[in-house]
Amino acid sequence: MMVDRMKPGERLVAVLMGQKPDRVPVSPFILGYAAKVVGLPIGDLYTDPKKSFRAQLLCAEMHGYDSSPMYGYAAVGAWEFGGKVGFPYEPGQSAPYVIKEPVESEEDVDRLEVPDPKTAGSVPIAMEIARQCYAMGLPAVFQSGEVLTYAGNIMGPTRLLTWMIRKPELVHKVCKKVEEFLIACAEYFTSTFGAERCIAFAGGPIESNKLISPKQFEEFVYPYMLRIHRKILDMGVPIILEHPCADQNKNMPWYRKLREECGWRGKYVWNFGPETPLETQIAQFGEHDVIMGNVDPPSFQFRSFEEVIMLCKENIERGIKNPSGYILGPGCEMPPLAPPINVYAMIKASREYGSYA
Amino acid sequence: MKDEILRGLTDSVVSGDVEKCVEYAKKALEAGIDAYEAIMEGCARGMSIVSEKYEKGEMYVPEILCSAEAMYAAMDVLRPHLKAESIGTPRKVVLGVVRGDIHDIGKNLVKLMMEAAGFQVIDLGRDVPNEKFVEAVLREKADICGMSALMTTSMIFMPEIIRELKKKAPETITMVGGGPLSQELAKAYGADGYAKDAAVAIRVAKELLSRRGGI
Repeated sequence: MMVDRMKPGERLVAVLMGQKPDRVPVSPFILGYAAKVVGLPIGDLYTDPKKSFRAQLLCAEMHGYDSSPMYGYAAVGAWEFGGKVGFPYEPGQSAPYVIKEPVESEEDVDRLEVPDPKTAGSVPIAMEIARQCYAMGLPAVFQSGEVLTYAGNIMGPTRLLTWMIRKPELVHKVCKKVEEFLIACAEYFTSTFGAERCIAFAGGPIESNKLISPKQFEEFVYPYMLRIHRKILDMGVPIILEHPCADQNKNMPWYRKLREECGWRGKYVWNFGPETPLETQIAQFGEHDVIMGNVDPPSFQFRSFEEVIMLCKENIERGIKNPSGYILGPGCEMPPLAPPINVYAMIKASREYGSYA
Repeated sequence: MKDEILRGLTDSVVSGDVEKCVEYAKKALEAGIDAYEAIMEGCARGMSIVSEKYEKGEMYVPEILCSAEAMYAAMDVLRPHLKAESIGTPRKVVLGVVRGDIHDIGKNLVKLMMEAAGFQVIDLGRDVPNEKFVEAVLREKADICGMSALMTTSMIFMPEIIRELKKKAPETITMVGGGPLSQELAKAYGADGYAKDAAVAIRVAKELLSRRGGI
């Protein structure tokens, strides 16, 4: 097994700069798992920025992986726009969840106001974590989408999906407000830290083709996503971490078009779900962007150490072929209940099979 | 005339047209078509087409939800006219999202497809404690217990529920589904069946019941 010649931060920066690191970097998409590792309830990771930052930092240090602390969750949007979320303090829970949606009727759509990011819902928590990252020379990460996932949390997924057919104009109104909010968030973070020190992170499950068609993605996601990305790139944010959650194979042409219409500016890190083959991603983005490989997340929880090593090996062997860089990771958040040895399996697999020497 | 009305019901379920569906349901009653036949040969057939289209990637959840609205609107018209002897004894399914999990779109789609296929569904909702599944299965003498989970932290309750059911209601078929589940994991949990989505769930349920000699 190779001996590391780079430090975690250096390894990730090298890949993002288009250089070859000593070995494949590892970004295990860890949130709730970090709380378990340090003995905190998962809820604290989403409510207490100091504890959250410390847990994530210690977890990264303990395992020796390359990514740094961040904040975000899939139920985002409801709290920010005036609804209510619950936090995962009960058995079985792993992330914040919506308790009350701010839009429950057609009239609520017009009443919905674009909130001030400085005080909106979880943004102050994300900002506090970003401040602590910034103070340590780490990137300040802010959430920049996806718009339809925000809209689904604002009006409830069933109402959203039904209105996409019955009352599309109301869905567009909400999406437009989300777009305004996300651009305001980006301005808030970039003006606080400087755009060059920021990373935008976008992802969400409602865009998945398990729920919507590529045609609906074209109408209800793409125009908003394009405008937001253009603005963020105009601000000078150098890196966008894009996580098309779950099966989004049919949306691939739109993600490709997004990059083309943004002139391939900035460096994108793509983290598709395990349903999307690495070869497909390399074919679409390999000339410019980094691919963050997508090992099946539940496998980290229920498979043996040896099996996880083999899954990581296979992912590395396919992903390392990407000409613009590759990072080993799961295809979505690391299961909070994954045995620690299976997170270590990623580091070990990178050392054994991911050397660039 | 009868065929035309039943086809009208089917087509308006598929297209999610609530008004037309209600209109055809009323026409069916006016034409003296048995309400149960109108539901099964009109509405349920429409839902079956929707299910096939979903499986083939020709329809997505927004369209299915509209089809569901149309189907339930027609059923509201037809249900009061059902004759007990036409219905027979429907198979019972206890359905719920396991503890700690509030993601219920998948479960609701399964419920919809099951009801359209003639099952009686006892919907326990979401974030359902283990013992509620077991209690409901025993109380209802359910043929099937379906459990759904979207989180890796909540799916761990499934094997506990399945173990309890195997002890207390061994005849009941257990089925699991949801994002982090797989055939392999379902087997490891001791479930009788696994379905990757709502369309498959109906097929698996019917197969398992048929194997048990119940359908």
